[in-house]
Amino acid sequence: MFKDLDPILHSQLRLAVMSLLIGVKEAEFTFIKDKTGSTAGNLSVQITKLKEAGYVEVIKQFKDNYPQTICKITAEGITAFETYVKALQSYLPK
Amino acid sequence: MQQQEFSPQDSLNLIESMINKARNRFSENGHLYLLWGWVILICSIVSFISLYRFKDFRLYPVWFLTWVAVIYQFIYIFRKKKEQTVRTYTDEINANVWMVFVIMGGLMGVILSKMGHYQLMNTMVLILYGMPTFLSGVIFKFNPLKFGAVICWVLAYISTLIPYEFSFLLLSMAVVTAWIVPGYLLRSRYKNQN
Repeated sequence: MFKDLDPILHSQLRLAVMSLLIGVKEAEFTFIKDKTGSTAGNLSVQITKLKEAGYVEVIKQFKDNYPQTICKITAEGITAFETYVKALQSYLPK
Repeated sequence: MQQQEFSPQDSLNLIESMINKARNRFSENGHLYLLWGWVILICSIVSFISLYRFKDFRLYPVWFLTWVAVIYQFIYIFRKKKEQTVRTYTDEINANVWMVFVIMGGLMGVILSKMGHYQLMNTMVLILYGMPTFLSGVIFKFNPLKFGAVICWVLAYISTLIPYEFSFLLLSMAVVTAWIVPGYLLRSRYKNQN
């Protein structure tokens, strides 16, 4: 029986962001941008979608007079990620 | 990274590669191990010379070097935190382990001095050195630190069998094996990563 894949996570860049954040306490926007190789604009749009879904917490602050965006995965995000991975497993040949 | 249709297998591959990208980042460059290793090495050798050669504590002010190291460390950590773009759980746990070590070391120093058991100081310090060093070895999966910690504990026992002044030589051996050698190895591992 195939399970439905969470449409929020079943997108390359959003899944990449979540996979990065699941392993760290928090990460700056620039770190995520470097690791995913995405453009700032696209990444910003995808992070906003994750934030709206409640999967990611976004903290905006200033560092040395420059704006800094920090992202961290929420408890809801961790649960969604785990559910997504379990659902993926049902698609794989046994 | 483009938005496009991708299969469940692609998803798993992407997850694996991203998790590895975050996990394989090795943030420990060994700098503070080297700083403290060399400072304690100098202080312990000078203390040994003071007790062995002059039979008194005249060279003990060398330990004020540790205060200089503390000030430098504060500045270094402050700057490093500003440069960090990611905070991992391992970094946080490791920082807390060393904070516990500093608190326990400080308390132990005050209590032993107050009770007049200063001759126990080096033995207790050696026991204490082993704790954060071993745990950092576990956290960073870095065996030289674990090995160095075990050496500290062996030297702690040996220090109870020899005259007090020689325990400073054990202290210097401990920092070489637990901090200086692993510090250089960590530095080279960090440089290779970049």
